[in-house]
Amino acid sequence: MNNPFRKDLESRSRPEACTVVIFGATGDLTHRKLIPALYNLQVEGALPAGVKIIGFARRDKSDEEFCRGLEEVNKKVSRSGHDDSIWEDYAENIHYHQSEFQDASGYQRLAERLDEIDRERGGNGHRLFYIASAPEYFDDILENLKKAGINRNKKGFWSRVIVEKPFGTDLPTAKHLNQVVSKTFRERDTYRIDHYLGKETAQNIMVLRFANAIFEPLWNNRCIEQIQITCSENLGMEGGRGAYYDSAGAMRDMVQNHLLQLLSLVAMEPPTDLSADGVRDEKVKVLRSLRQWDTPELVADNVVRAQYIAGHVDGENVVGYREEDRVDPESMTESYVALRVLVDTWRWSGVPFYVRMGKQLPKKATEISIHFKEPPTVLFNALSGGVPGGNVLVMRIQPDEGISLRMVSKIPGSSLRMEPVKMDFHYATSFGKGSPEAYERLLLDSMAGDATLFARRDEVEEAWKFIDHIHHAWHQSKLPPVMSEYVAGTWGPKEADDLLGKNGHKWRRL
Amino acid sequence: MSDYADNDYAMALGKEVAIADVDKELHLLWEEDKASTNASLINLAVYSEQKGAIIKNSEHVQIITREHACRAILIGIDRNNPDASIRAWITAHCHLSHGRKSVCCEQIAFQLTGKSTGRLRNTVFSHLNSDLPLVFWWQGELSSLFSERLYSLIDRFIFDSSEWANPLESYGCIGEAMQSEHSLLPMDIEWTRSSQIRMAVAGLFDDPMAASALQHMSELRVVVHPKHRMAGLQLLAWVIQRTGWKQSKELPLGSDNGDIYHYETTEGSDVVVTIVSDPLSAPVGMMEFKCARCEVRVTRDAGSPYIRQELHAGVHQIERCTPSNSDDSADLVMNQLSRGGNNSLYRAVMPDFLKLLGGELNCGCEVEDV
Repeated sequence: MNNPFRKDLESRSRPEACTVVIFGATGDLTHRKLIPALYNLQVEGALPAGVKIIGFARRDKSDEEFCRGLEEVNKKVSRSGHDDSIWEDYAENIHYHQSEFQDASGYQRLAERLDEIDRERGGNGHRLFYIASAPEYFDDILENLKKAGINRNKKGFWSRVIVEKPFGTDLPTAKHLNQVVSKTFRERDTYRIDHYLGKETAQNIMVLRFANAIFEPLWNNRCIEQIQITCSENLGMEGGRGAYYDSAGAMRDMVQNHLLQLLSLVAMEPPTDLSADGVRDEKVKVLRSLRQWDTPELVADNVVRAQYIAGHVDGENVVGYREEDRVDPESMTESYVALRVLVDTWRWSGVPFYVRMGKQLPKKATEISIHFKEPPTVLFNALSGGVPGGNVLVMRIQPDEGISLRMVSKIPGSSLRMEPVKMDFHYATSFGKGSPEAYERLLLDSMAGDATLFARRDEVEEAWKFIDHIHHAWHQSKLPPVMSEYVAGTWGPKEADDLLGKNGHKWRRL
Repeated sequence: MSDYADNDYAMALGKEVAIADVDKELHLLWEEDKASTNASLINLAVYSEQKGAIIKNSEHVQIITREHACRAILIGIDRNNPDASIRAWITAHCHLSHGRKSVCCEQIAFQLTGKSTGRLRNTVFSHLNSDLPLVFWWQGELSSLFSERLYSLIDRFIFDSSEWANPLESYGCIGEAMQSEHSLLPMDIEWTRSSQIRMAVAGLFDDPMAASALQHMSELRVVVHPKHRMAGLQLLAWVIQRTGWKQSKELPLGSDNGDIYHYETTEGSDVVVTIVSDPLSAPVGMMEFKCARCEVRVTRDAGSPYIRQELHAGVHQIERCTPSNSDDSADLVMNQLSRGGNNSLYRAVMPDFLKLLGGELNCGCEVEDV
């Protein structure tokens, strides 16, 4: 039904009121991210009136107990604070549904409950299923949704599903999961969430590239020497994460999804339009163009894996990876990975993309740096010492979102001396208002049917294809590449420095 | 100006400096404090011809710079003062950004009296930060200083139509300015006052039952404070522009309760629209749609930090509250600046609003050289 009052009121697609069913409702993601995100949307008046939330989980709880637990966490983590009056209204629309994920009757009861909500709405209603459970339940949940018939769109009313990562653990499992999802929901109703894409700076990559005429002419192998994408964390396996992490590792946990998504945004061609498929068509072309490291030798030459050993981070002693709680003492899971990635397209031929991700590094930071070529060796570069470093454009994703550009400037004085200087833009300094949490944006987009910031099936599979070759070399070849070590609190193993050194490059100092 | 002691100005506006030394003194200001970051995304000029307003405006800028880094230029004008003079003060408004970095915005305040007001443009606007847009907040009635020489410099022009004695005439001046300067974006604070009510109404009509009842409405009631009749008319203009309702009787009928209008919806239903002035109301206190099968109501009590949304359609009921902006002018300007864009909705609604105001546009402003 058309709502004429929405037109021109906001410069975004209109989210529609729906019932949000969260599977895995007693988990950390629901408490710390999803419920606070929806609450913040309500505070900002962005959440459509009439949104209902049903938490689906195994534990036995009443609505009141469920809401009380959510409220306690919301008070601690909500970015807009906690207002009792608003929470009271918000919580009236939150309900709890107890069921095992494998229990078909639980889904029948859910279907009846959804029908009852729809009847109160005067007929039918939209439904958004958020699968935030452990990945081993994805199949059961999707199949049971189908059996209960609540996956189907009714006339004029949609049913959509949001699937949390990990979306598979390799290409075969991702394909299997895609098949299960596609049997239950149409691709256009499937939203594979990657919260990195909801971050302000990730969204700003396209704006920076395509709304500023000065960058795009330089965005190619004629002007760019190399690109680095870094995600460093100064944490280890705190909070019982060891068991999950040891089965995943840095490559699966971060590179396959977040970092390859960022890479594809940086490397893609201009899309024909800003529609979800317009953007995702271009992103997937990048992933298809990744040169495959499909032999152990190529993997050894282009990928470094490592585990941290005991050291110091932020002045505290930390144990080595294999000594961490719930980690196999003989684990061969990487806590650090560095890759040289080549994108075989006309634009990027010969430009290496260096991607690194590590745990227990000196600080928390995620950023993309574009390193431009040095000026010709005439004029200033012909002087002794040359020009001190080329231009570097940095897009900081977290924690201090912003953009900086390094340039060379003359030092004041009678002699000709040069130093690099930095022009720095900080979101927090320029825009006093805090950025919304990534989940706020992504939840609204899914209610509005805008899948631009969600991964499409072919993107996920292409990314796994690239990663699987490396995993195969690590875990199934006769002569697997070595597992290196680095001291916790340092910037990774020497081998990672050597990876860039071969091409005369260095990791950017963060 | 004589009502305020020099000390009041110094307290509010900072260090008094010679006009020729403003830039030099600003540099010195930064040299004194190396721990702060100077930030600026816009030039924000705040103009008032009211005595002492410059002091209050410094407080406004202190609030606005929390979210909008800018170079602020305060302009106080006293045209009736027989002495021709220009005085200037400089200061910086600093805020802790996310509890860490101290982010500061420069403020230059100018007080012009007597014949010096003619030097407004040359004196004041030589201190704009280059390349940054100029947002000009004009307080009170438009005067003869609002001329092509002034508005040709402005990117966004903020005003408050609730402060105008003759809105039709003032809108005429702005309309003329927009015709001559196509890039000039008008931003009416009175329109911003109703923005959250509009958002709340739009939110309720997302509901399919409310949306299906829209063209079957029989009553629309808008309650405003008597000072904010403009906001009531703007809300009505918004409704008729969005819904395509046609006026079914030529003239509004006055009653003890306010203005009454008659419309016909696209489905042929007759709608009686009442704009009620209530001295106890919030600036915009209520917007209520009614028909036999549905009631949609958005309310805000005077001074309340909340807006209440209600939808009643048989067993289908929605009730919830969302936070409301404060009524403070600085907060409303902040809200406007946050929204950015080209204010297309406001411009789309303007023709219907001006018709409701009644009469042809007529610019009666006399213009003087600035």
